[in-house]
Amino acid sequence: MGKVMLEVNNLKTKYVTRFKEDVYAVDNVSLKIEEGKSLGVAGESGCGKSTLALSLIGYYFPPLHYMSGEIIIDGKNISGMKPDDVRKNILGNEVAYIPQAAMNALNPTQKIIRFVEDVIHAHDKSVSKKDIYDMARERFAILGLPEMVLQKHAVELSGGMKQRTVIAISTILSPKVLIADEPSSALDVTSQKMVIKMMRELMEKGFIKSMIFITHELPLLYNVTDDIMVMYAGQIVEHGTAKEMVFDPLHPYSKGLMGSIIVPEEGVRDRKLTAIPGTPPNLKHPPEGCRFADRCKYATPTCRAMEISNIELPNGRSYRCLMSERKVREVYASEGL
Amino acid sequence: MKGFRKYYGQKILWYLITLVFAVVLNFVLPRLMPGDPVSAIVSNQASGITDATAVEKMYQEYTEKFGIDKPLYQQFFAWIGNAVKGDFGVSFSQYPRTVSDIISNSAMWTICLQLPAIIVGWLLGNILGAVAAYMKGLWDKAILPVFLFVSNIPAFGMATILLFIFAIRMHVLPSSGAYGFDLIPSASWTFVKSILVHYQLPFWSIVLITIGGQAVGMRSMSIYELNADYVKYSRFLGIKDGKIVKYVFRNAMLPQITGLALSLGTMMGGALVAEIMFSYPGLGSTLLSAVTGRDYPLLSACTLIITIMVLVANLLVELVYGVIDPRVKANQQD
Amino acid sequence: MKNTIKQAFHSSKFVTGFVIFMFVLVTIFVYPLIVTRDPLEMVGQGNFFKPGTYVAVSDVVGTNSNYRLNVDTSAAKLETGLSVENRAMMADWLEKYGEVPASDIDVTDAESLVALWNEKYDPKTVIKGMTIAVRNQYMRLNNQIQHALKDSGVIIAEKNEETGELEEAKSYDGREFVNQGDLPNTQTFLLGTDNFGRDVLTELVAATKVSLGVGIIAGVIATIIGLILGLLAGYVGGFVDNLITFITNLFTVIPSFVLLILISYSVSESARGTTMVGILIGITAWPWTTRSVRSQVISLRNRDHVNLSKLSGHSMMRIVFTDILPYIASYVVMAFILQISSGILAEAQLSMLGLGPSTTTTATLGLMMNWATQYSAHTSGTWWAYFPVILVIALISFSLNLMNTGLDQIFNPQLRD
Repeated sequence: MGKVMLEVNNLKTKYVTRFKEDVYAVDNVSLKIEEGKSLGVAGESGCGKSTLALSLIGYYFPPLHYMSGEIIIDGKNISGMKPDDVRKNILGNEVAYIPQAAMNALNPTQKIIRFVEDVIHAHDKSVSKKDIYDMARERFAILGLPEMVLQKHAVELSGGMKQRTVIAISTILSPKVLIADEPSSALDVTSQKMVIKMMRELMEKGFIKSMIFITHELPLLYNVTDDIMVMYAGQIVEHGTAKEMVFDPLHPYSKGLMGSIIVPEEGVRDRKLTAIPGTPPNLKHPPEGCRFADRCKYATPTCRAMEISNIELPNGRSYRCLMSERKVREVYASEGL
Repeated sequence: MKGFRKYYGQKILWYLITLVFAVVLNFVLPRLMPGDPVSAIVSNQASGITDATAVEKMYQEYTEKFGIDKPLYQQFFAWIGNAVKGDFGVSFSQYPRTVSDIISNSAMWTICLQLPAIIVGWLLGNILGAVAAYMKGLWDKAILPVFLFVSNIPAFGMATILLFIFAIRMHVLPSSGAYGFDLIPSASWTFVKSILVHYQLPFWSIVLITIGGQAVGMRSMSIYELNADYVKYSRFLGIKDGKIVKYVFRNAMLPQITGLALSLGTMMGGALVAEIMFSYPGLGSTLLSAVTGRDYPLLSACTLIITIMVLVANLLVELVYGVIDPRVKANQQD
Repeated sequence: MKNTIKQAFHSSKFVTGFVIFMFVLVTIFVYPLIVTRDPLEMVGQGNFFKPGTYVAVSDVVGTNSNYRLNVDTSAAKLETGLSVENRAMMADWLEKYGEVPASDIDVTDAESLVALWNEKYDPKTVIKGMTIAVRNQYMRLNNQIQHALKDSGVIIAEKNEETGELEEAKSYDGREFVNQGDLPNTQTFLLGTDNFGRDVLTELVAATKVSLGVGIIAGVIATIIGLILGLLAGYVGGFVDNLITFITNLFTVIPSFVLLILISYSVSESARGTTMVGILIGITAWPWTTRSVRSQVISLRNRDHVNLSKLSGHSMMRIVFTDILPYIASYVVMAFILQISSGILAEAQLSMLGLGPSTTTTATLGLMMNWATQYSAHTSGTWWAYFPVILVIALISFSLNLMNTGLDQIFNPQLRD
């Protein structure tokens, strides 16, 4: 077992909408990532996965609010730290983030190298500009970016170049945890693969210690991450290895998620395509019992009546359902799934 | 570099064409109207004269002077030829002063008043607007309606308000003119001091008006930028808020520069009328005296010089913009 | 459409603007029903009577119902009787010769000032170095003050028809009052009178109506021209677009008020009525609307529903009216609102240059400003002749701009804050 890079225990956060309503988008989330490992988080849009990404960073400003739980990065508990200490000592160098809309993530009127300087100086004022330049040139080269990119403004770069530039800048301080929020959704399939390949490469070279990938395409994660978590209505409903999650999902929601997506992968490709009926619950007033109950065809009155706890399997898998592993498999087998 | 040259070349060419159009309009518009300007001028000038032969003589003199009997294009080139030499004829109302003499004097006052006032107002307005956007909360809520209201007070209105408070009620500043009426322009300290004292009210009324409009614009522009993705990204990389605010203000400021160029004409129009309230010896007061004195040569020279001033200011703003906004450079390379 | 209007009323900015604008509208239509006086009637002989209620002097003297009130009237009398100059003189003397520190002298409080004066000033003492003229001046001032302090009352005398002598008919001391309601002749000018002796409030209401009309004429014309040019440029594209864009850019850079001055000067005075001024403002104000319509149409031009219409072989007119106009209607309304407000301002500025409507039958906000300025109201401190006008211009333009911002936030959600 490798060194634990990120450990999250019972994290609860909320955000406030324009109409001053509280939305409990991350509810009691716990997770753990070891060095050299990657974790995927999958779920429909609006399930709270982007909020989770922001919450994991530990830097809260309105409309996002921290409520309870702890975040431990490489042994350091950051949930009690002062915001400015988090900014200076954690953000960018311990945890780094690749935003959803990488296309607009760069200030259009600033030269790339100036921004790199700002990022590094935000954590360590003493680094000389020349050192920064050399470091940036080296990193950019690994990602296939020519040196001249450093002297350009974001507006002068093509979409793919911007994407790579964002990855290069996010990882320039060799963070322990890299959180990527759908880094590939704006790209075509070939560029997606390339981005994923680049990130794996960065991890293999040791520039990043661990990764969290957030996407709405569960099958995409199969190629990328070691573990996969499925998120629904602010909660983690299932957690397992990538292989288990893609080929053998246990939670009815994960099962549905796999069935509702066309997968180009061998083995899952010929599966029947089914849609999950209904819509996710309103997170302003989350239901008391199982949050998936209203859309689950196996739901019983008990599901709605009580808080559902995680079932932990001996191999480290866990899922949030009343049905036992055996029961689940029986039900699925009877339906020919 | 090639992109820049192209950008500047296009801009300058475009402004030259605009200038030509402006000059043509300045010449043609008054002549398009029914009735020739000469008879209008003569009838106004001669309203007190009963001697028919004197009126006839006057009419002939002006006909000759304006070349009204020649075809329009010949008149135009004669007029242009004179205008290029700075000869706009003799003023009717301030005879025997030449129009160019009057204009060059009043244009100087107007430039010295409006240029600094608009720049200062623009800067202060942008700073206040940005601060309002950044502070949010009560301060913003309290200050925004004030800005909104101030930006809707006409410039001459602001002029009278300041005039009433500081000149009429408090007697701390003079109410009219550009310097004490008992002084003769000289390089003495008394004269300079008098100019500075008289400068305050017109200056601040233009500044306040400009602040109102710019602050409102800058505030919404800053709010828009504060929500931009690059702000969030920079935050997540641990960059300090102070630094991010700098990015935001720079980016919000850039569109404000083009906004300034576009509204410069309107702003100057308002400020010219405000000059009148202070009897400031600038182009506004000259325009008024040209209208009331039915001084056609003076009026058309005024409008021409105002147009040229606006065009030059616009061109300068656009050229500066090309240097400071890399987006312009990027667009030129496409 | 109904939904859009409903949405607009959820925006607090729009509602605030709407309420202010409605207040102005209701006032200009209801006020004339209550006050039927001709707005341009010269009620006052002389210029710039200050705001207040005017009472006929003979009525006050002639009224039989007098009331005695036990109040001290001398303080108020002092307050109004002592001019600013006299107070300054007193303060000056007290400071220089009375050895009173400047901080103890409050010229705004007449009572304490006079008390201080009576304590220190003695007409008999001769101050060294003071010229006789100055000394006499102070003595006159002292007499004035003592006179104002005295509560001697007034005697009304009547001429005896037979003897031709004056006989005392009534006498009043400072505590006799009359009730305003008993007086047959009172005139209230809430905002005083202007340079021609006209009631400013009545004139202002009438002028607001006319100016609003000018603004609406200008707005309609500018919007129609802008809409047509913008549609042509945006929808037809190609050469037509290039040409219209070129002309529009030209007229955005050449200041429209310069064109307005040139054209207004050229139009003969007899033809320059309020309608004509509105038209002139309209034909110089269209470039902004053209720009905004054009960019909206371009973004619509390749939308699916427009393409579908094109493929179905609908005529251009039909496409424009059914597939484009409804979608840009909100922007056109917003542009129209702004045009009205800038039209009103343009009229005011034009009038101040003496190029406004040449009419003697109506007033406009600009003409009221122009008259007030010509009679130096702004340097003589008769604020009621111009502040109300400025306030009305600012309020109208404030309310219209608020409505515009409110609508803008509804139609451009990214601008919400």
